[in-house]
Amino acid sequence: MLNRRDFLKLAATLSATFGITGLPAPVAAALKKIDPAAVPKLIYLQGLSCTGCSVSLLQADSPSPLTLITDYSQLAFHADLSAISGRKAQQLIDKYISGQAGEYFLAVEGAIPEKMPEACRIGDKTFAQYLEAAAKTMSGAVAIGACACDGGIPAAEGNLTGAIGLKEFYHKRNIEKLVVNIRGCSVHPDWVWHTIIHLVKVGVPELVNDSPKMFFERKVHELCPRYHDFQQEIFAKRLSDKGCLFKLGCLGPDTNADCPTRWWNGGRTWCIDSNAPCIGCASPNFARKKNIPLYRLNEVREKTV
Amino acid sequence: MKIDLGPVTRIEGHLNVHTTVENGIVTDAQCVSEMFRGFEVILQGRDPLDAQQITQRICGVCPYAHAIASSYAQENAYKLQVPPNGRIMHNLIQGANHLYDYLLQFYQLSALDFVDVTAILQYTGKDQDLIKVKQWVTAELDRNKEFPAAPFLPRLSGQYIKDKDINIGALKHYIEAMEIQKKANQAAAIFGGKFPHSTGIFPGGCTQNARIDHIAAYQSLIREVKHFIHDKYIPDIVAVATAFPEYWKIGASKGGFLSYGLLPLSSALNSKRLLAPGVMFDGQVSPVDLNQITQDTKFSKYSSSSNLHLKDSATIPAPHKNGAYSWTKAPRYGGRMVEVGPAARIMIDYHQGNNPVVTQLVNHFAGLAKITPANLNSVLGRHLSRAINAAVIADFLLEETERLDHGGPTMADIVIPNSCEGFGMTEASRGGLLHYIRVENHKIAKYECVVPTTWNGSPRDDNGQPGAMESALIGTKVQTPEEQIESVRIVHSFDPCIACAVH
Repeated sequence: MLNRRDFLKLAATLSATFGITGLPAPVAAALKKIDPAAVPKLIYLQGLSCTGCSVSLLQADSPSPLTLITDYSQLAFHADLSAISGRKAQQLIDKYISGQAGEYFLAVEGAIPEKMPEACRIGDKTFAQYLEAAAKTMSGAVAIGACACDGGIPAAEGNLTGAIGLKEFYHKRNIEKLVVNIRGCSVHPDWVWHTIIHLVKVGVPELVNDSPKMFFERKVHELCPRYHDFQQEIFAKRLSDKGCLFKLGCLGPDTNADCPTRWWNGGRTWCIDSNAPCIGCASPNFARKKNIPLYRLNEVREKTV
Repeated sequence: MKIDLGPVTRIEGHLNVHTTVENGIVTDAQCVSEMFRGFEVILQGRDPLDAQQITQRICGVCPYAHAIASSYAQENAYKLQVPPNGRIMHNLIQGANHLYDYLLQFYQLSALDFVDVTAILQYTGKDQDLIKVKQWVTAELDRNKEFPAAPFLPRLSGQYIKDKDINIGALKHYIEAMEIQKKANQAAAIFGGKFPHSTGIFPGGCTQNARIDHIAAYQSLIREVKHFIHDKYIPDIVAVATAFPEYWKIGASKGGFLSYGLLPLSSALNSKRLLAPGVMFDGQVSPVDLNQITQDTKFSKYSSSSNLHLKDSATIPAPHKNGAYSWTKAPRYGGRMVEVGPAARIMIDYHQGNNPVVTQLVNHFAGLAKITPANLNSVLGRHLSRAINAAVIADFLLEETERLDHGGPTMADIVIPNSCEGFGMTEASRGGLLHYIRVENHKIAKYECVVPTTWNGSPRDDNGQPGAMESALIGTKVQTPEEQIESVRIVHSFDPCIACAVH
């Protein structure tokens, strides 16, 4: 006979495979009634990161950030918010990572310096050592942002640390673990928090290429309010112009994200509404190559001269 | 006794501090940055206009400061004529970012060093937020969890504020600050496209249009932030200062001070700034001379040469270098150590009598706390200086919006010469920020950043002089050497950012 915890685990696995709608009614109902004690604990670790994703998570609108870390998750450790520091903080992290403090999800922000492990340490261990140990004990991981998913800017061409994302890090070690990728530099807070709410309430959301389909199914270009300008060939010729920004280098056609419908910062704004071309920060290839610039201003100028 | 303070939390990034404690006094401190990415190497060979985007990813806490410093450096290199709207929008974006950062730094990163979070259990009032937090903490404690009420507990042992009402008031403001910081960022994002990591900031201005509806929304948000600064933030700092007056004397750095000045008052790069630039040794302020800045690497994990000027800088990582203990380089001004940051900014402006509001506020609070302006070089002084910065900047931003010309141009036309170079200097919330770009054959040939915590969190230089934060820690009395809440308070007062420091 399954106990409640095993039952929920099985249900979560089933929902990951079939989606909540495919589940028998009692299983789905049980998932919706997860009690507070079963709300996932999060151990949030930062690698080669800028903390931009953490700061973005604090820009969450509804629910508020405080509700998200008390009601919808239990933020057991986060370097930016935890009151505890030093040796006791180290002990807390070690207790979870060694599996002695119960089940937890690992939240990872930042890349892993695969060729230079000393380029990232937390307390007495390298970042990579935590990730290897966590693979044995965690329920799964959420890779938060461009760096954790694909290496991001630290992995851009010419880097010296051999930075890679979490999935590749585990793949190289033949580790099979659930890793949900949430791209963006930085992530939109909804993309992460709504994924976590989904995990808590109804299980793993439907994934496409390891990312939640509900946010990353379609391209920025397809959803863009300036798509009409594109069809009518009304193109911005210089920065601050209205019109489709494609000829200035907009990477909306190459980037899967729902920014055009979600907007940013409380729904007040987003890049293209401020006439700034999409730089493809939610693309796995974001800023990767030196010879692919983020903008193409000169091409337009040369053609219009 | 040797004690490591790492991992230091409630800061940006990966900091450890090696301390030696003898007879309850910190006799030695080494600030150890533990994360390296190599931005300057990554930037080499890229399109120059990638720089204001890539360098924002140095730091997601103060990305706008990097975008602005990079834009200034490129404007300087390309000789752009920035339209007034362009510079005003730069200021509106960067200034709002300062406001969010000061609130985050005090409430989320520092307040739990002083405020007793367990006071919530005694709350008997009717505030819904506080009732909810009380119920949550109570449930957490009742559940026999190993680590209840994380991330707010456990905490370091030490003295916290004893007055219940002050504690509960500050906790309420901790919650409110989480909402108010968003408003400052929303204001910045109106012109910057989004936060973090703006796409709308360019050398030469901003892509957003100067529309009256944008201006009105911005003003409304900044007014809310301004009210919070005056009604809650400043009184909370005064309350902490009243409970811990000894911290006017604790945590003084032992060198000079440097500020590049903040928020230009016209579109010319060399224009007067809201807060004046300068370098200060022994109470004497002189103009900043960039030729005086060099970076040492004897104790830094690089095999590249030491004592190099900015234009000659080099970054060759050497993680196992003998004797090196930090990924941060050691910048020095004329060979001397300086502190940068909010206190440096305020003291340098005050000593020049530049901004009358700064002078008035410094005199007011010095009178109230019975300190001298020199005591701003302390734990409390840095916190108070942030609040003074915030008050001055909020007023300025509201005035600045009135100068925005509705419908006027916001961007210069960007033409990048084949070869050129330029410096850009501004102040991030945590201190002086410098970017240098050199372009050859339309590509970045060299990029160099000297960032606030590069100064404050630096290791020893070639002559063995400690960095500003190290010097502030050495000599500190500590009650519990294994935990050192006193040292942690000093570190937090600098608001270190290791992602910035090393980059």
